[in-house]
Amino acid sequence: MPSSLVTSHGRHPTSTALLKIASFCGLFISLLYLTDAMIGAGLRRIKTSAFGVNNQIMGGQVNADIIISGSSRALTHYDPRIIQEQTGHSAFNIGRNGSQTDMQLAFLKAYLNYNRAPRLVIHNLDLFSFVSSKEIYDAVQYIPYIRDDAIFAGIQRVYPDAWKWKWLPLYGYLVEDMRFTWVRGLRALTGWQPPEDHFFGYQPRHIAWTNEFDEFRIKNPDGVRFPIEPAAVQDLTDLVELCSQHGIALLFVYSPEYAEMQTLERNREEIFSRLHALCARYNVPLWDYSDSPLTKNQMYFYNSQHLNATGASAFSRALAERLDASGLLP
Amino acid sequence: MLFNSLEFAVFFPVVATLYFLSPFHWRTPLLLVASCAFYMAFIPAYILILGVTIVVDYTAGIYLERTHGRRRLALLWVSVAITCLVLFIFKYFNFFTDTFLGIATHFGWQPTNPSLDIILPIGLSFHTFQSLSYVFEVYRGRQRAEHDFTTYATYVMFFPQLVAGPIERPQNLLPEFHERHYFDYVRVTSGLKRMAWGFFKKLVVADRLALYVNDVYSAPQEYNGLQLTIATFFFAYQIYCDFSGYSDIAIGSARVLGFRLMENFETPYHSASISEFWRRWHISLSTWFRDYVYFPLGGNRVKPARWFTNILLTFGISGLWHGANWTYVVWGLLNGFYLIAGTLLQPLRQRIAALCRLPERNPIRLSVGVVTTFGLVCIAWVFFRAPTLADAFYIFSHMWRDWDFSDIGTEQFLLRQMPLAIAAILLLEAGEWLRRRMPLGEIIPRFPMPVRWFCYATALMVVVMFGVYSKSQFIYFQF
Repeated sequence: MPSSLVTSHGRHPTSTALLKIASFCGLFISLLYLTDAMIGAGLRRIKTSAFGVNNQIMGGQVNADIIISGSSRALTHYDPRIIQEQTGHSAFNIGRNGSQTDMQLAFLKAYLNYNRAPRLVIHNLDLFSFVSSKEIYDAVQYIPYIRDDAIFAGIQRVYPDAWKWKWLPLYGYLVEDMRFTWVRGLRALTGWQPPEDHFFGYQPRHIAWTNEFDEFRIKNPDGVRFPIEPAAVQDLTDLVELCSQHGIALLFVYSPEYAEMQTLERNREEIFSRLHALCARYNVPLWDYSDSPLTKNQMYFYNSQHLNATGASAFSRALAERLDASGLLP
Repeated sequence: MLFNSLEFAVFFPVVATLYFLSPFHWRTPLLLVASCAFYMAFIPAYILILGVTIVVDYTAGIYLERTHGRRRLALLWVSVAITCLVLFIFKYFNFFTDTFLGIATHFGWQPTNPSLDIILPIGLSFHTFQSLSYVFEVYRGRQRAEHDFTTYATYVMFFPQLVAGPIERPQNLLPEFHERHYFDYVRVTSGLKRMAWGFFKKLVVADRLALYVNDVYSAPQEYNGLQLTIATFFFAYQIYCDFSGYSDIAIGSARVLGFRLMENFETPYHSASISEFWRRWHISLSTWFRDYVYFPLGGNRVKPARWFTNILLTFGISGLWHGANWTYVVWGLLNGFYLIAGTLLQPLRQRIAALCRLPERNPIRLSVGVVTTFGLVCIAWVFFRAPTLADAFYIFSHMWRDWDFSDIGTEQFLLRQMPLAIAAILLLEAGEWLRRRMPLGEIIPRFPMPVRWFCYATALMVVVMFGVYSKSQFIYFQF
């Protein structure tokens, strides 16, 4: 033993002292892992809200005939209850708030890992469909399922340090989340359930028109351009191929977008021409609701991109009727 | 490298283990290498700037010891000038040129702007002052020149206090590099506990309050008077916990390695007067200015007018030390005015206290003093935190009106976080009160091990679970 490790006054023999410090550190690290496991277990026990939806998906309890995927526009525009009532086929919405095609693809893969393949995937498009994620929005929603390969791979593409979420205890809950989601996890262990705001994955937004679009228009009087990134184009192509590999019919839908906003989208035609080219190449139908009468009425929206609950009901009914008549569902 | 980073959580145990496993004569070089790695985690090339300061002052120290008379004084000034030049170029060049350009433009002259596009090396003011104190002390004959370059470089670069102090004096720190530090369980665990307390201050209190303060002070026009007042109150605690938290981690980590760094804070917000506040706030800097600026100017052993000028000059320079912005200068001068006013009004205050029959240590008198001092300090903090003087004056003019109790939260700091922030402040005050009145450091170790470990683990879990991990730097790094 080096002489420097001998204590100066002999109160604690060094080896005992080191053992005590190491033991405390070991116990404390174990406590961190235990807490992490408890939070994860609690969040996976939630049956309501967004976590309830995730748990149904990751628990293989959905197995619907029709799956709706996409961003927040998918999440808030498609009411599976209306689609199910009209078509007679079970439907479920796996739309993700703040997600781009890369994470939507990752989540669809995760869905397919645990559930029977659906007959039809309705993938909602928007002008961000060719943009890759720059960050993981609301990262904590993925943490309880970070050990799923599809989700982990999707996150790691955006955030190479995602290994910390996976392997360091509590890192995902404490560093990546400022909303104390860990408290919800611990409460759920005692049987608590958050209020229900999702219905078969769909989240209706009972909100009237806000001034977000007016602020946007003032800030961008000359309109905006949306990038077309090769990686995101590839992700959308991969999504098409994934459905093809699983024998799933795929339908692209461009759900209603407020008409005035469409005039501010400088490269809208370019994006649509790329979308049409992709659809033609893979023989995927694209239903574009850009000219729908809904788009001209503020009453149906809460901002330029999102229908409120009233608009979503009207849109879901129109879509379900068209779907029923289309023969896309065998 | 930030103390509140994953890198430091790996770096420190590794360095501490290697330190105690190494033979004694390898330890200072090991600390130097570790300190270089610590510093280079920010902007690697800037270590060269630090190198220049170290070489200049190391050489100056040796020659100061050998020379006498006017050559000695000249050598001192050359050394101080070169050290300060580095500080001037990186920290003050743009400030002074911008000020000059503003004046020139006012008089109709349009000179070209020579501004430098450079980033301030982290902690530059701290290690510059530590270097200067060495040169001054050698010049005054109170410290022998350090001939071992590695030891001197480690004195300037010692990683626990490299980027935000405490600004050590050579008499305190240099001899410690020549001592043999044994592994001492009591000392090591005491250092670790001190670090944990520092992390509580930084992660649980300072960074939580920062969410509110940053929102409000970045756009004060968007907030009502109540929010401006809360933000100012929160900033007082944020800056205290941020900086004293850093000092606690620095003192604690140095203690683990066997070094005794000076205390930098002694519950300054419990001070009953401004002069007491400055004896308890950033002690290492206050005493630096006292010893190397205020006393050489004559201190208080001159006529009152000169004395007050000395106070204002010292506090003005202290303000400028904190940042190249007029807001800091005004903050410094305001504190100087507080001190002068406190001195002038002392007879009146004592007469009022006597009339009210309130002796010196009376709790009511003390409470009035503490609350008044805290209020005055908060007012000064507005200048310190506001981005511009215009923003500071806006905050003062709007702080007292349009209080809207239904609109308290901000974008980053929702109302539901308020109980947590207040609980954190109360816990801090309770912790500081306990530390002063009850020797917890002596009581808890007497408990049986399971109870003791439960206490420590619970305290650590509070820090871990309620901390904010936004990769935020310590405020004083920028100085």
